[in-house]
Amino acid sequence: MLNKKLKALGLACSVLSGVALSCVANAHPRWVLPSHFTVSKEGGDWLTFDVTASHGTFVFDKPAGSQNASITMPDGRSERPNFTLTGKRRSVFDFFFSEEGTHKVKINNQPSYYTQYKAGKRDTEKWVRANKVERASVLPKQARDVVTVVGYTRAESYVTVGKPNEKAFELENKYLELKPITHPSDIVAGEPVRLQFYFNGKAQQGVTAEITREGTLYRNHQEQIDVVSDEKGFMEFTPEIAGRYIMKASYKGELEDKTLADEMKANVHFTFETLLP
Amino acid sequence: MKKLSLVLFCLCFALPTTAKILSAKSIPANAKMDVELIIPTIETSIYARPYVAVWIEDAQRKPVRTLQLWVGKDEWLKDIRSWWRKVGRYDRVLVDAVTSATRPAGKYRFSWDGLDHDGHRVEQGDYTFYVEVVREHGGRNYLRQKLTLAEESFTHELAATEETGVIRLQYHSK
Repeated sequence: MLNKKLKALGLACSVLSGVALSCVANAHPRWVLPSHFTVSKEGGDWLTFDVTASHGTFVFDKPAGSQNASITMPDGRSERPNFTLTGKRRSVFDFFFSEEGTHKVKINNQPSYYTQYKAGKRDTEKWVRANKVERASVLPKQARDVVTVVGYTRAESYVTVGKPNEKAFELENKYLELKPITHPSDIVAGEPVRLQFYFNGKAQQGVTAEITREGTLYRNHQEQIDVVSDEKGFMEFTPEIAGRYIMKASYKGELEDKTLADEMKANVHFTFETLLP
Repeated sequence: MKKLSLVLFCLCFALPTTAKILSAKSIPANAKMDVELIIPTIETSIYARPYVAVWIEDAQRKPVRTLQLWVGKDEWLKDIRSWWRKVGRYDRVLVDAVTSATRPAGKYRFSWDGLDHDGHRVEQGDYTFYVEVVREHGGRNYLRQKLTLAEESFTHELAATEETGVIRLQYHSK
C-alpha cells in the first residue's frame, strides 16, 4: 500500500519535473553526447549517453530528459534505453549495442507552441507558452505583432557496431530531418561530408546549419562552420580537425494546417565524431 | 605526316589495351615481401603493449590483405582507428583469422606471400603498405608507403616515429 503510494508520488514528481524542465530547457539547444560512436567488441557493448540543453558545445547545463530517448536499430525497429537517470544538469541513458549495423539514437520531444508578441510603449518582444487557440486568454489586450510558432527539435546521433548499414537513415517524413549521405561512421578530418535535409518529406533548400567542434571553452574563437542547404537539400562541409562536433540545423517552414500555429521552427541537432585520417 | 597521325591514332587504341593486359598480369609466382618492424622500448610510467595492424591496399584503396593484427581484446579493435574503419569492421571472420596477442618491444620479421584475402596472387600494379600502431596511455602513429609490385625487386625504409622504429620492406620478385 505504502509502496503503491510512493510509486504514485514518484510518478507525479517525475511528470511535474518533466514539465518544469522542458520549460527551462526550451531556449537552450538540446543535444546528446554518446560515450562512443563505434563498437568492435564481439557480443556487443554498453554505451552511455549524456543529454542536456546548453549554449556551450558539450557543456552540461540543463537536465533535458532522456524519457523520450529511443534507438532505431539496424533493421529499422525501435528500442528504448535500458537505463535512464536524471541529474541536476544532465540526464543519462545507457544502452547495450549488440546488433551489427548502424543505430540511430534520438531524443525527440513533443512539438511545443509559443507565441511571440510586442507590448508596451517600447515594443518589448515577449513570448508566452501558448498555441493559437490558447493565446487569446493569455495575451494582454494591447499585444501587437502576434505570431505563434510551433517548435520541434530532433537531438540525434549514430552508433555503428561492426559493419555499417543505412536502414536507420529512413525518414519519418515529419518536420525537419537529416539524411546522411556520407555515412556518419566515415567522417574523417580533411574529407568532405555530404548530408541532405528534408522538410515534411521533401528535400529542402535554405536549411541553415552551424557546426562546432568540442572544446569551445579552451579556444578564443568558435571556429564555427556555417552551411546552407542547396535546392536539392544537400549540404557539404569539411571538418579539418578530428573530434566531436555538433551540427545545429534549423529551418522556418510553412504550415499546412494553421489552426494551432502560424509557422514552424524545426531543428535537428546532430552529434558526430570526425575521425583521425 | 599522314602516316604519323595514323600511327598515333592506332596507338591511342592500342595503349589502353596494352595497359589492361599488363594490369591483369599477376605478380611473379615466387614474389614476396619481407617486413622488418621494430617496436621501440619506451620509458614511461604506465606502459602498455601497443595494438598493431599491418595491411596492404590496392590503388582503389580497397584492402587486399591484413598481414598482422596484434590486439588484446576485440573491444580495442576500434582503437586501431583507420584499420578498423577501412578493414576490420567489414569482416569478423577475417579479424578472427588474423588476430593475435600484443607483443613487447623488439624487432619482428614477417613476410607477405603476395596473396590477397581469398588466397589469389595479386595483380601487378600500385599498392600501399600501411602500419597503424596505437598504445594505451600513449600515442598513435599511422604510416604508409606506396609500392609498385611488378617484376622488379625493391626495398623501402620508413623512418622511425614515436611508436615505431625503422621499418624495412624488401620485395623479392624472384
